[in-house]
Amino acid sequence: MDELLTPDHTPRPAAAGLWSLLDDLGPEELLARQHATELDILTMGITFTVYSDGENIDRAWPFDVVPRIIPGDEWSQVERGLAQRLRAVNMFIDDLYNDQRIIEDGVFPPDLLQDSANFRPECVGAHPKFGVWAHISGSDLVRDDDGTFYVLEDNLRVPSGVSYVIENRAVTKRAFPELFGHNRIRPVDTYTDALSRLLASLAPDGVRKPRIVVLTPGIFNSAYFEHSFLAQRMGAELVEGGDLVVGDDDCVYMHTTDGRRRVHVIYRRIDDLFLDPEAFRPDSLLGVAGLMRAWKAGNVGIANAPGAGVADDKCVYAWMPDIIRYYLDEEPQIANVPTYRCMYDEEREYVLEHLDELVMKPANESGGYGITIGSRATEEELTACAEAILDDPRNWVAQPIINLSTVPTLIDGNLEPRHVDLRPFILTGESSYVTAGGLTRVALQEGSLIVNSSQGGGSKDTWIVDEPRDGNQWSQSQSQTQSQGDSAQQQSQSIGGGEA
Amino acid sequence: MALLTRNADRIYWAARYLERGEDVSRLVQSYGELIDDLPTEDDSVSRWGALLAVLGETHSGSTDDLESKTVEIDERYVVRRLVSDAKQEGSVAQCVKAARSNLRTTREVLPREAWRAVNDLSLFTRDEAVRADDRRFRDRVLTRVIDDSRRLDGILTSSMSRDDAWQIWRLGRYLERADMTTRVVGVRAAALMAHRESSLSYDEVHWMGVLRSLSALQMYQRSTRGSIDATSVVQFLLFDARFPRAVAFCLDEIDRSLDRLTRSDGVRATVTVARDALMSTMATTTDGADLDRAMEWVQSLLGKVNSAITDRYLSIDGG
Repeated sequence: MDELLTPDHTPRPAAAGLWSLLDDLGPEELLARQHATELDILTMGITFTVYSDGENIDRAWPFDVVPRIIPGDEWSQVERGLAQRLRAVNMFIDDLYNDQRIIEDGVFPPDLLQDSANFRPECVGAHPKFGVWAHISGSDLVRDDDGTFYVLEDNLRVPSGVSYVIENRAVTKRAFPELFGHNRIRPVDTYTDALSRLLASLAPDGVRKPRIVVLTPGIFNSAYFEHSFLAQRMGAELVEGGDLVVGDDDCVYMHTTDGRRRVHVIYRRIDDLFLDPEAFRPDSLLGVAGLMRAWKAGNVGIANAPGAGVADDKCVYAWMPDIIRYYLDEEPQIANVPTYRCMYDEEREYVLEHLDELVMKPANESGGYGITIGSRATEEELTACAEAILDDPRNWVAQPIINLSTVPTLIDGNLEPRHVDLRPFILTGESSYVTAGGLTRVALQEGSLIVNSSQGGGSKDTWIVDEPRDGNQWSQSQSQTQSQGDSAQQQSQSIGGGEA
Repeated sequence: MALLTRNADRIYWAARYLERGEDVSRLVQSYGELIDDLPTEDDSVSRWGALLAVLGETHSGSTDDLESKTVEIDERYVVRRLVSDAKQEGSVAQCVKAARSNLRTTREVLPREAWRAVNDLSLFTRDEAVRADDRRFRDRVLTRVIDDSRRLDGILTSSMSRDDAWQIWRLGRYLERADMTTRVVGVRAAALMAHRESSLSYDEVHWMGVLRSLSALQMYQRSTRGSIDATSVVQFLLFDARFPRAVAFCLDEIDRSLDRLTRSDGVRATVTVARDALMSTMATTTDGADLDRAMEWVQSLLGKVNSAITDRYLSIDGG
């Protein structure tokens, strides 16, 4: 399914305005605008970092100027589904580290927890504020042939990409100023403010103006740009482990030109195991000795809470519909992709027999690493994959190949369909917040399903477009041809007039 | 507002590198103009080497390059060394690059436009600095560096809170500037004075070059309202309390920033020592060799100011 065009290549209603503008512009002007955005990205210093890339460690962010458009009413449904899902996920995590009711009630298998690489015994008995552990999450969504949204995975540890959502919008506004004045495109700029308020709410009780820091592994991390961006937008300090110290009073301090200053909330962008060499990996130079002590004593808020990753696991994923029903007594409002769990003999047998129809994923890898797409793998790759599964069944799940939706993308000066996914960001604290849209990643190779920027994927601005207040919203463009003008007008009228 | 120690270190060094890049650019630019005005029949000796002395390097005959090959110190070598070769410590290209990489990690502290200005400049020097080897293009490169450095000052002056980050930035800027002025005065002015007795036919052209290399010509003329005179040029550059590149002025500005920072007594003491030393050179400003030595002494005391700032504000042990 193409999200902007119907099978007979006419624009879908929400994309009509964009499409007639693209027609007006023509290929040369569109290419000029693409180049202008690339220049913007370079001069604004919007970068991402590639591992082991030699001297040039920050690369310009890859961006396609043609936006992706999702109608507002469809998105509102997704928002509700995500907020619901994260509420349940957080109750699940809190339960695992405390009463483990879900295991006692026989809904979640105990051996899964015992084998989990992301369960942190150090966190047992902790009670973070509001019972929330995964404050910031970035769920990966895909749409299949009939447009249904599926959650592909839940990223609950240190999901990245939200800075590019905001920056992509900034450069797109410059590229298509014509459209923003006339379309009701939901703004994305409010995220950092919502994040800032969420983090402030995690401060120890009684602190009126909490000092918030963003803890980064440093400049060589692939998401360093984002760490810096978020700190800037929240007025927080961007710190590295060496900037912080835990005092004898179990409080966290940072070293400043003014001496030591108390830190109340840490938005950490480093992995659990590196957080605190006292509690986890003793060789970690990225963390802060004593941080876990300070957190458990309630002297500092940490987002996401240590241990939250226990629910970010491709095996736990398979239980998500059950988890939602168990804690909320509601039906999931957003779908899970059917998932085969190789730990179970029956499901593993099925997977091994249908390797060429499935996507095999190691349970604890992110960034698209280690994935085998059955239909595209060679015989040797499938054999290797089968061996890996037999070697460590607990670490593997498999899903049917979803025929990912496409969005027209500028390739060598022409618009061609390319597969996309979507990562919205969900904030959970006392209340929930979902970004308007999210980060659309696009696989630039024809037919490819791998969208990760670390593996050559690009990105797009994502527009959540609400219905126009007035049926003529999209017919004002002066130079469009008669027939296009007519069709745009018809379509906009057919969906217009509903909302006052 | 308190500033993270690590950020203080990076902001301080970004300020120093940027000031150095600007100052070296101006030095090379004004020296090129000077040489154009002073044709010589003797082409065997390149006069470009004299510039290297300002950075305290071998400046005549030949030297070893990065690959330990012996090379002639000529215009091409000097311009590479001072402007276009980003691998050379202290070259304009390297200064801009270093300023950028320091500011890249402090983006949450400075106004966003400031980062963009430096990033912009760094993209430019990365791609275009090599063209400074070509005389026709050199001026464009150098002017861009000077202009962008000042653009950054303008952005910070008009949009940055006067917090600790601002004060640390000023410490870096003014210390580097004071250091550069003492170098120019020490090497070039001293050389000129030493030759005063001999028949240097275009004496005031040289002095104009010295003043230009510090953006000081016009303000000097306004303040002295007279013709160019060696002793008054040196005094202007060292002791003037109103000209922003004069050493005394820079030290006053450093003091003003220290007033706004906490726990600054130790650092301030080193500034006082440097200022006293500077003032005591007043008597030597007519003798070339003495002046050169005096400037080296002041530079070493500025180095002590730098160490005191480092210990107090830029390293975690200082907290």
